Amino acid sequence: MLSLQSVTKRYGSLTALDGVSLDIAPGEFFGLLGPNGAGKSTLMSLVAGLRAPDAGSLVLDGRPLAAGGGSARAALGLVPQSIALYEDLSAEQNLRIFGELQGLSGADLRARIDEALAAVQLADRRRDPVKTFSGGMQRRLNLVAALLHRPKLLLCDEPTVGVDPQSRNAIFEYLERLNREGLTVIYSTHYMEEATRLCSRIGVIDHGKILALGTLDELLTQLPFEDEITFPATPETGALAAGLAGQGTVTTDAGQHRFRPAPGHRLSEFFALAEARGLPPRLFTHQRPTLEALFLHLTGRTLRE
Amino acid sequence: MRTLLILIRKDFALFFRDKTAVALTFIIPVALIYVFGQVFGITRTDTGPTGIPLAVVNASDNPGAAALVEALRSEKAFRVITERTLPDQTKRPLTEEDLAPLIRDNRFRFALVIPADLIATDTFGLRLKILSNPRNDIETQTVNGLLQKAIFSNVPELHGQSLQARAREFIGAPELQQFNARMARAITDAFGGDAAEVEAALAAGDFTMQNTSLARDPGEPAAASRQDFFSEIVKIESEQVVGRDVKAPAATRVVGGWAMMFLLFALSGSATSVFEEKKAGLYQRLLSGTVTRSQILLGKFCWGVLIGLVQLVTLFLAGQLMFGIDILGHLPGLAIMSLAAAAACTAFGMLLAAVSPTPQAASGLATFLILMMSAIGGAWFPISFMPEFIQTIAKFTIVYWAMEGFNQVLWSGDPILRTLPTLGILTGTAALVMAVAVWRFNRGRIFE
Ligand SMILES: Nc1ncnc2c1ncn2[C@@H]1O[C@H](COP(=O)(O)OP(=O)(O)OP(=O)(O)O)[C@@H](O)[C@H]1O
Ligand SMILES: [Mg+2]
Repeated sequence: MLSLQSVTKRYGSLTALDGVSLDIAPGEFFGLLGPNGAGKSTLMSLVAGLRAPDAGSLVLDGRPLAAGGGSARAALGLVPQSIALYEDLSAEQNLRIFGELQGLSGADLRARIDEALAAVQLADRRRDPVKTFSGGMQRRLNLVAALLHRPKLLLCDEPTVGVDPQSRNAIFEYLERLNREGLTVIYSTHYMEEATRLCSRIGVIDHGKILALGTLDELLTQLPFEDEITFPATPETGALAAGLAGQGTVTTDAGQHRFRPAPGHRLSEFFALAEARGLPPRLFTHQRPTLEALFLHLTGRTLRE
Repeated sequence: MRTLLILIRKDFALFFRDKTAVALTFIIPVALIYVFGQVFGITRTDTGPTGIPLAVVNASDNPGAAALVEALRSEKAFRVITERTLPDQTKRPLTEEDLAPLIRDNRFRFALVIPADLIATDTFGLRLKILSNPRNDIETQTVNGLLQKAIFSNVPELHGQSLQARAREFIGAPELQQFNARMARAITDAFGGDAAEVEAALAAGDFTMQNTSLARDPGEPAAASRQDFFSEIVKIESEQVVGRDVKAPAATRVVGGWAMMFLLFALSGSATSVFEEKKAGLYQRLLSGTVTRSQILLGKFCWGVLIGLVQLVTLFLAGQLMFGIDILGHLPGLAIMSLAAAAACTAFGMLLAAVSPTPQAASGLATFLILMMSAIGGAWFPISFMPEFIQTIAKFTIVYWAMEGFNQVLWSGDPILRTLPTLGILTGTAALVMAVAVWRFNRGRIFE
């Protein structure tokens, strides 16, 4: 559906995207996971045609994408990272304007507006100016405004910033439903939980480079460990941490010991050691590896810093 | 085209949601134009100052001095004060000693003293003393000018007396009497009349022979010709060639300039909306769809021209209501001129938005340029009063050409065909400025 070939974008001397190649298949829910400044929005803006790449090519449905608006992108919807709405106008007026600009009109447009407002639980606020909405409500409207024309590819740039868990869930469910119905989604976020929950495939991006690409399972196998046990770094646990040295790696960070067993190590051995030192089991947290850990492994940094 | 209409309609909806914008565009300008109109007195048929307090102390027993005081009293520019009210509510005539303290107390700013020796003997002229607090330069000049005029046109014999007194000093009284007698004879030889009467008139300084039988045709009353003599020294025949039928001439001349200034302010406001939409990320949304950059810019431009046209016509119509300017009678020509002016102003606003890095910079720059263009372009003050180089610069302002156009339509009553050059300059400016703005917009960051 969408294909990026060695796409590079510079802002002056800063390289925001550095030779990114990517293929998105129809029906995919693709996650773009990266910290602030990674280049997520830049990538979105290139696909949306807001900017032109300095090198490389973008192809949508077999047609090369050039910068600038126009009909080539009729099948595309962008949910900008900021709330791109006319604050002084009502929810309905906003949707009408964006719908009309997409070539919709009449009863069809009205029906789609009703449907969109209902989908994000804003039907009863339709006549209120957007500026009287809460942040989460604005986010939800920001999302559906990009969907009125039923695009085939939706670009969601961090659509849940500042949204409470309930609204966030509503957004997730709505997107998942649309995805099941055939919508291809590119979803950027710096929350690994979101990527984990939503995305069938994930690209980890930092400093304008795709560092890893694949399904969640594929990505996590890149980690050289399968389990991770964390426990507080206190005088009582110090001896345990020291004693684990031969059985895997122990790192200490922010008051926490992090033990990653070497391949072949058996967890029962660890708990036997802990029991022998009289440490209660509630001190220990056992985790499967996460994207967070993967990011740390790939970059030496955490996702949120 | 459809896209443009949607964008324009969007701006209309936004505009009418914004009560402040509506007020700033229509209500406040109308109110201010009304106030300006009162301040500049453009509804009065006669112009000039009225009621400037002028204290007068007359210490002279010369009948001419008393006549002068009466003349000043009848001058509407002055409110003549000759008495002082004491704390116990009684009144007494002002004295020369009273004047300086009262001026310091700001009871009046001008005082005229006519001294006992009004007619100078040591030099030609009258001895008048003016005390003033020249707080306002224009007022001071006006007062001086009006005093001169009052003396010249009402009591010319005072100057004659001064001449006589001077002559007496130079050649001595007997010789002067002899001279006057000879003059009288010469006059009566040539024009007829009574030599004794003419000699008496000369001695009294009445060189115009006002009070002699010479001055009037038989049967004419004595005072009739007095005013005529001086007013006819220089004969000015004044014939108004253009604008003779204009109703409310003063208002017609100035309202266009004021309206232009408000138009510029309103449009610079709409130019900063470009920044607001950018900041909100709206251009990302629009451009990611089917809208193009040119459509966004053109949409803004058309919207600006429309609202500008509506604003100008509204302000002119308000001018008709408030000052009686004949707008409805010139509506087609005025609407076309307003359209051209609005186009030029909108293009100017767009250029400002295009070259400014921030909305604050845009509105700061706009205020500066608007005030400057209005001042130089003649919106506040007729440019013929300005130094020559400013008059030259004025021709590079939109305000100048718009005012020129409005005057052609409203003042000269030119048919549309004759206003074409002005229309051409305005629309040409609009096209050129807009082209630069679009070029800048496309290279700038506004759409990223
Ligand atoms: N208009 C711009 N001009 C100059 N530099 C820019 C511009 N936009 C982005 N950048 C830079 O490009 C890099 C990538 O920015 P981008 O907005 O794509 O990051 P992001 O992944 O979306 O970050 P965030 O999570 O904060 O939204 C950053 O270093 C940023 O400073
Ligand atoms: Mg971003």
